[in-house]
Amino acid sequence: MSDRKLPRLLQTPAVILLLIWMLVPLSLTLYFSFIRYVLNNLRRPEWTTPSFSNWRGLGNYEFVLNSKDFLFAIQNSLLIVGSILFLTVILGVAIAVMINKAFPGRGIVRVLLISPFFVMPAVNAVLWINMILDPVLGLQGLAVGGINSVIASLQNAPLVGWFFSLWPQLEPISFRATQTSAYAVIIMVTWQWTPFAVLIFMTSLQSEDQQQKEAAVLDGAGTWSQFRFLTLPHLSRPIAIVVMIQAIFHLSLYAEIEIVSRGNGNKNLPYLIGEFANNNIGAASATGIFAVILANIVAIFLLRMIGKTLME
Amino acid sequence: MGRIVLENVTKSFGDAQVIPPLDLTIEDGEFAVFVGPSGCGKSTLLRLIAGLEETTSGKIMIDGEDATQVPPSKRGLAMVFQSYALYPHMTVRKNIAFPLRMAKMDQAEIDKKVEGAAKILNLDDYLEQKPGQLSGGQRQRVAIGRAIVREPAAFLFDEPLSNLDAALRVGMRLEISELHNRLATTMIYVTHDQVEAMTMANKIVVLRAGHIEQVGSPLDLYRTPRNLFVAGFIGSPKMNFIEGAEAEKHGAKTIGIRPEHIAVSSDTGPWEGTVGVSEHLGSDTFFHIHNSGLAETITVRADGEVGFKHGDRVRLAPREDVIHRFGADGLRIE
Ligand SMILES: Nc1ncnc2c1ncn2[C@@H]1O[C@H](COP(=O)(O)OP(=O)(O)OP(=O)(O)O)[C@@H](O)[C@H]1O
Ligand SMILES: [Mg+2]
Repeated sequence: MSDRKLPRLLQTPAVILLLIWMLVPLSLTLYFSFIRYVLNNLRRPEWTTPSFSNWRGLGNYEFVLNSKDFLFAIQNSLLIVGSILFLTVILGVAIAVMINKAFPGRGIVRVLLISPFFVMPAVNAVLWINMILDPVLGLQGLAVGGINSVIASLQNAPLVGWFFSLWPQLEPISFRATQTSAYAVIIMVTWQWTPFAVLIFMTSLQSEDQQQKEAAVLDGAGTWSQFRFLTLPHLSRPIAIVVMIQAIFHLSLYAEIEIVSRGNGNKNLPYLIGEFANNNIGAASATGIFAVILANIVAIFLLRMIGKTLME
Repeated sequence: MGRIVLENVTKSFGDAQVIPPLDLTIEDGEFAVFVGPSGCGKSTLLRLIAGLEETTSGKIMIDGEDATQVPPSKRGLAMVFQSYALYPHMTVRKNIAFPLRMAKMDQAEIDKKVEGAAKILNLDDYLEQKPGQLSGGQRQRVAIGRAIVREPAAFLFDEPLSNLDAALRVGMRLEISELHNRLATTMIYVTHDQVEAMTMANKIVVLRAGHIEQVGSPLDLYRTPRNLFVAGFIGSPKMNFIEGAEAEKHGAKTIGIRPEHIAVSSDTGPWEGTVGVSEHLGSDTFFHIHNSGLAETITVRADGEVGFKHGDRVRLAPREDVIHRFGADGLRIE
């Protein structure tokens, strides 16, 4: 017993520090979520300082549950996170497998592939929404305009003109609109985070056992079977890591949503928290607790799913 | 069937020629062992036969058909790797079933074959475990099982036992030999352990730097090694080589005599020396004799009970009929 005491004693400061680090914010959030706490209220100035005498019980939670954006924000959070995870994992695996083979210029290609990850999220969002996705001035607008003018000129051409006159004018998509702003966020975050997935998968691929592959070749496995039965299971752990880390990051997306549409038609829980926090700290805290619960559910669900599908 | 013929096969990695032109025939049902020092190209040769490496030139014939350009999976050969190369995410059952599954065999038949192989290899109790939970010997059996179920034309083994401890190695050696007797399929076995080579092979192929030094049955190589390299490589402990006046008496540049062909006693024999280290194995004793004036050390095998001590003067009597004579070019003189 006594020979264990010293190590325990030495660990204590670190453990206590960690506990404080995590517990204080969580407890404060919990505390605020059960009281009335607003930043500004002329009629009830006592609500502007947190205190147990302003106890509201589950009132804040009720208020949040009944607010019109709550369910939508949850759905939207899941849509955005799920789509990004799906796309980054698929793209990440595909790209990692492709650049794992030796080819000239591989080093440069790798560096270029990683580079989106070093762009700041807000910059990323501004670049995408203004320079690429903008329906008039962005690449999208220019491309659609270009295609339209080519078609228009072909419509006057002899012989094939009648065929092209059947074509409709292409309409550029406005990604700031209510229905599409979530897709804009998904596209830009996928672009930014695919390199992260590629990086993790690439390192993992390099540790793949070559003799297993040779054994599989002799066993008659083609390229696809080798990928399906050796590479994918080998990647299951890195995939789980990528999914977990990204789920944590993307459940709290904020900058992109703010920049694309200021939350117009595209809120997630953090954005909702931000809106409440303009004044109603109590409601914002209650939403925060919901966000913690959601994150845990998502994490458990994802881990189960990955474990099941990849391990056969 | 599984007759494998190599004709003028060469292999180069870049500029380095690892296998110079080489001819070799392995008959159907034979147990051929490739031996040689590390880096001599044993694995490369095996991988050429398997199709995992492309030949630089030359032809590989399997059962009379040119297989040089045939992809590895179509050659009908099964390989067992030194690292076992089991699929870590699959259970033992799925590992063994994998080649059959790739061949799109139906499930009932797969189950039957897997269970048959598991019975032969005593793996029945481990079918639902993952390779990570097995011991080295069991993993090796799974790898062999995966090879057996395919019913290949030939088995290729690349140092399959070198990761096992000594006792297990002896056991697995016997099991593989028994398997060969039972299946009567061609087996090609790579090792640098000459005891494995002697005990398992019908035909030993001694390689040095990609060259075949000699091909023959274990006893052929033991009785009539073609040159100094083979003479020194086959047999344990190593053959004693003696040069100088004693060799000239026999009309050779070098003579070789195996430790088991020298009798040691306190009074009879033409040679004399002092006992250095003696190794007592129980059944045998190996004496290392110094100061004989013939070679730095002469190793001698005696009965386990012979009790000379360090520093004793002893006399040595070689059996004249089994003295090997080698010329200045290192080749055997008949
Ligand atoms: N892929 C490769 N590229 C370049 N050289 C290689 C390659 N594979 C093998 N070699 C060279 O070929 C030679 C023979 O190698 P090989 O692996 O066949 O030896 P080995 O007899 O199996 O040795 P060991 O007993 O150590 O396994 C070595 O000198 C090695 O450096
Ligand atoms: Mg080798």
